[in-house]
Amino acid sequence: MSASPQPLPATESTHQLKRFWESGPAGWNKTLTSPRALIPFFLVAFAVPLALQYVEDNSSWIGAQYWTLILATCAMYACLAVALNLVVGYAGLLNLGFIAFFGIGSYAYALVASDQIHQRYPLWAALLVVVVVTLAFALLVGVPALRLRGDYLAIVTLGFGLIMRDLILDLDRPPVLAGHQFGPDGLNITNGTNGIHNVAPFNLPASLPLLGPVPHYRMYYWIFVGFLALSIYCMLRWRNSRTGRAWVAIREDELAARTMGVNTFKYRLLAFSVSAVMAGIVGMINAAQIFNAFPSPNFDVQTTVMVFIMVILGGLGSIPGAILGAIAFTVPPFLLQQFVFYKYLIISVVLIAVMIYRPEGLLGTVSIRPRKTMGGTLELITAEATVEASELPPVTDAEAADLEATAGAIVEDPEWKT
Amino acid sequence: MGTFLQQLVNGLELGSLYALIALGYTLIYGILELLNFAHGDVFMVGAFLAAGAAALLVHNEVAAIPASLIVGLMLLVAMGGAGLLGVGIERIAYRPLRNANRLAPLITAIGVSLLLESAIQVGVSPAPVLVPTNALVPQTVLHVATVETPLTGVMLFVASVALMIGLDVFVFRTRFGSAMRATAQDREAATFMGIDVDRVIMVTFFVASALAGLGGVLFGLRYASIDFFMGYLLGIKAFTAAVIGGIGNIRGAMAGGLLLGVLESLVGGFISTQYTDTFVFLALIAVLLVRPQGLFGQPLTDRA
Repeated sequence: MSASPQPLPATESTHQLKRFWESGPAGWNKTLTSPRALIPFFLVAFAVPLALQYVEDNSSWIGAQYWTLILATCAMYACLAVALNLVVGYAGLLNLGFIAFFGIGSYAYALVASDQIHQRYPLWAALLVVVVVTLAFALLVGVPALRLRGDYLAIVTLGFGLIMRDLILDLDRPPVLAGHQFGPDGLNITNGTNGIHNVAPFNLPASLPLLGPVPHYRMYYWIFVGFLALSIYCMLRWRNSRTGRAWVAIREDELAARTMGVNTFKYRLLAFSVSAVMAGIVGMINAAQIFNAFPSPNFDVQTTVMVFIMVILGGLGSIPGAILGAIAFTVPPFLLQQFVFYKYLIISVVLIAVMIYRPEGLLGTVSIRPRKTMGGTLELITAEATVEASELPPVTDAEAADLEATAGAIVEDPEWKT
Repeated sequence: MGTFLQQLVNGLELGSLYALIALGYTLIYGILELLNFAHGDVFMVGAFLAAGAAALLVHNEVAAIPASLIVGLMLLVAMGGAGLLGVGIERIAYRPLRNANRLAPLITAIGVSLLLESAIQVGVSPAPVLVPTNALVPQTVLHVATVETPLTGVMLFVASVALMIGLDVFVFRTRFGSAMRATAQDREAATFMGIDVDRVIMVTFFVASALAGLGGVLFGLRYASIDFFMGYLLGIKAFTAAVIGGIGNIRGAMAGGLLLGVLESLVGGFISTQYTDTFVFLALIAVLLVRPQGLFGQPLTDRA
């Protein structure tokens, strides 16, 4: 046996890894969002709580429930990030009232699934209510705001988020406008700062075939993961459709898209409302999961910024990026409780740093880097051309004659002359 | 009628605060087409700088400093500090992204806004901070017929009108002002004309942020209590005022600010105190729907 170490034979798999690494963010996205990568990902995601339970049952470690809860939060934020990615990453709309739709969804569900207004709808009816209510709010904001320029959309949605927060906080008593009281004395829709309690969870079987009894926390983890899978499936189908191409066209150059006959208002409204409804459904699942609908994190602009940073760190327009961003900003706060006070300080610094140094994010497909000026690009092209020309072997006489003959033939071609 | 006049005066007082901040928004938007979300927080930092200076100087054990000198120093610290902060923000967070997609600087601006808020929350105080206004300015209340208003409110109004006029003169009558207007119109062409665009933008940020700092001082003296989150809502309302007046238009920002303040005050007095903010934003949406260029703005065209 030879003592000198042999270089490892380059196997097919290392080649594949190398190719994957060299394909760059756009290639990573394509690979990671292909069904071949997504199906194993979701199978693993589905099995993780079972594995955690198995470890807990067979060792002294306890934490399966805690970690499943953390993962459920991750999955929830991933759903939100994917929904925000639709509106910001695909359509390029800055919706700063995004999280309000999450809040609206959770309150809409809480109202029809608790004793607050004494309504308990079955799941399908509650889902319908949530979809209709969030869609109505999205159209209410979107129809006037999306006709305006991009910056105004940001300020209108920001204002909308604030109005919703005020309404949620103030609608625990009948509104009094100009001395008139609207509604009876005891009117209490949202229960003010306390939020709505005792929200009924979804009426689901307590045990599943093959899996046996499913505890509440694991069930809701699976619901979030399932909704995430569904949203990603829809997003991918959409991205490669006429609608997706229209969104990208609007994002890249609105004027050009309009010139090509794209109805920009229609497609923007579609992206805006679909993303809002997705956020609303996530809010509904969240309300059922925690049995409550609270005003505070659900309507705070900081929560919107947090979902933004998830999308931006992962990369605008990138689905794996959104999931990665959700994990990166959900798990650390659980582990580093002593830093919670500094949470938004850290988030804001990361947000600014990412925007300056890597605006396309870790896995981004959208380049929002500063565009090179015309002069710079030209310089680059001429520099490359000079290098190439000097490195080329000189043209032989035969080649020159051949070229001349070809050119002559083209010039003499009667079809070219006419 | 008495209530109406009183609310009108209250509204003008509140409105001049909005106008001071709206002037900064409109200046920066006019030059860079950038919605500087952090501007309201620069106002807040200015208020904290002034409060810090006041806390150091009012009951110090070294020497009794006359109140007017303290107020002068507060103005210097707050305006200078806020101005430098604005310049720093521009240099670090906005300049690298000047030619980027419009979304990029907007997102950074939100990041800067959150950074300033959490830095003050973590580093200074999560609870409201009191400004020793009693020791600094006479707390006289002026009575005219049935209307009463504190002296500090009048100061706020006078200062903002004076600064608006000063800014108007600066932008429309001076050489540097014409460089600013040229930069706003076409940055590239301005460069060809020999204008140092970076310097113009830097000065614009300094002036806008110093105005916000001044607003912070006056806010502290008038309301005596400041907190890390106050710049957020005030900033959004000031931007609303700038949009209502016509963004990029200095006189429009002033008019929009006063109008919004009066509207808010009248809504509070006659319709509902709970839902004033709701009415403010409904007014914004109404104006944008009917006259997207604002009340005093030129018709907008999308720059391709």
